[in-house]
Amino acid sequence: MSGFVRPAAPRRRDRATPESVTRKVARNVGVPLLSIVLLLALWQGIVVYFHVAPYIAPRPRQAVLAVTQNWSTLWPLVLGTIRETVYGFIAGAALGIGLGVIMAKVPVLQRLVYPVLVLSQAVPIIALAAPLVLILGFSVTPKVVIVAWIVFFPVTVNVLDGLSHVDQDLVNLARVYGAPRWRTFIQIEIPATATPLFSGLKIGATYAVTGAIIGELAASDGSSLALYQEHANTNLNTAAVYGTTMLMTVIGISWFLLVVGAEVFATPWQRRTVARRWRRGDRSEDEPAR
Amino acid sequence: MKASAILELRDVGKVFGDTVALEPTTLTVDEGSFVAIVGPSGCGKSTMFNIIAGLLSPDGGEVRLHDQPVTGATGHVGYMLQKDLLVPWRTVEDNITMAKRLTGRVSAADRAEARRVARQYGLGEFLRHYPSALSGGMRQRVAFMRTLVTHQPLLLLDEPFGALDAQTRLEMQQWLLQVWKDTERTVLFITHDVDESIFLSDRVLVMSPRPGRVVADIVNPLARPRTVDTLVDPQFVTIKARIMHLLHGGDA
Repeated sequence: MSGFVRPAAPRRRDRATPESVTRKVARNVGVPLLSIVLLLALWQGIVVYFHVAPYIAPRPRQAVLAVTQNWSTLWPLVLGTIRETVYGFIAGAALGIGLGVIMAKVPVLQRLVYPVLVLSQAVPIIALAAPLVLILGFSVTPKVVIVAWIVFFPVTVNVLDGLSHVDQDLVNLARVYGAPRWRTFIQIEIPATATPLFSGLKIGATYAVTGAIIGELAASDGSSLALYQEHANTNLNTAAVYGTTMLMTVIGISWFLLVVGAEVFATPWQRRTVARRWRRGDRSEDEPAR
Repeated sequence: MKASAILELRDVGKVFGDTVALEPTTLTVDEGSFVAIVGPSGCGKSTMFNIIAGLLSPDGGEVRLHDQPVTGATGHVGYMLQKDLLVPWRTVEDNITMAKRLTGRVSAADRAEARRVARQYGLGEFLRHYPSALSGGMRQRVAFMRTLVTHQPLLLLDEPFGALDAQTRLEMQQWLLQVWKDTERTVLFITHDVDESIFLSDRVLVMSPRPGRVVADIVNPLARPRTVDTLVDPQFVTIKARIMHLLHGGDA
């Protein structure tokens, strides 16, 4: 037997102890929340100190009240915006991943398609809305298309980049084992691309709501959150304008956080030393007691 | 030592553009032996490995394993590089069973074997750890276990300890000799470290660049088991002097 076993020196935070969980929550949730509170306080301070007229800027409380008091009207509109955001994001992510993979695997297609992709992002998105309405009507579809249009690009660029930087020695090792290419792709190349993929998804997530709102502005015939805000603006209901903006922001942040959560869940190795216990069902009795 | 040949190269050569990476080389490796290949960079040692592993097709000649032609084919050797190439998203256990997962299913028996090997060689506590939690020497050991459980009789090790510090390297060398003895594999071991090549091997192939070729095939008579004392054995020093002379432009 080897006499050369040395004690492990885990370089990262080991399994969380109760204290560290509290501290982690404080750091990861408390501090960002504090920055939002400070922002609201700044808003309040400016409005009060400079005696800003309510039709120019309401106090935060009035903006929040404008939302809560009209919640029954707003709620279906919020749901609509969320639906456009989520559908568009999923479509854009799927398209982005697909294009990234195809372009990485077929270099000719990469040279052929890349300029078109860049071109697609150079088109002002507002200018895109009118033809989309002509083609797709005033349904949910044009909004979904606009969101997907915005989301797919960072995803494609990052997936393409990630796939072309997979360690070729690792791919060769799989070849030496006699692995078929599709298994190498699924087991090596895809997980190796997880980090850039999620970078692309996070960028896409921040823009997704913006895309949905642009779509609602340009391609709505009836009720939508964007039109609600426009009506409030015409009626000089400034509190509702600010309130709706806050609502849109909250939708955007929530979606971004959801994607961050998915990343944390999908890439445990980036912040853990030891695998989660439940990951494997077959924990057999020959596992040594610790 | 069993005398039958496990590996045969017959006039295997490779040219990249104007560079002769490996002159046509003929070579036989006995089953169960430990052959070290030493030479400076550009001498064709990694090219030779890639041809044996099937990653490169030679310009001519034939590779035979157990007297079967395997030229240009993969899936018949264990292979390990200086980079440990552990995948960060899998635990130590899942890294060890990686070859099985890439070529089929990982059975309960495969996992049990991975756990047994890891425990036997001092990594039992780290089965559920991700590689990022391990030291360089531990990572290299996991990479070697991964190579071991492929059950390939021939292991190609390309400077596996090249990135380790001197102390860890010496520990790893003794550990490797132990495992080699336990598992009765044939090892081809590339290194640029002359001491390492002598310390580990039954036989040292000395290679030289431009054109890449084997310039000497030296039988290593040093007794086993090898210990730290081996490093100052007069025979060790004699072989070392000869290899140094060859590597720095003399005749054998």
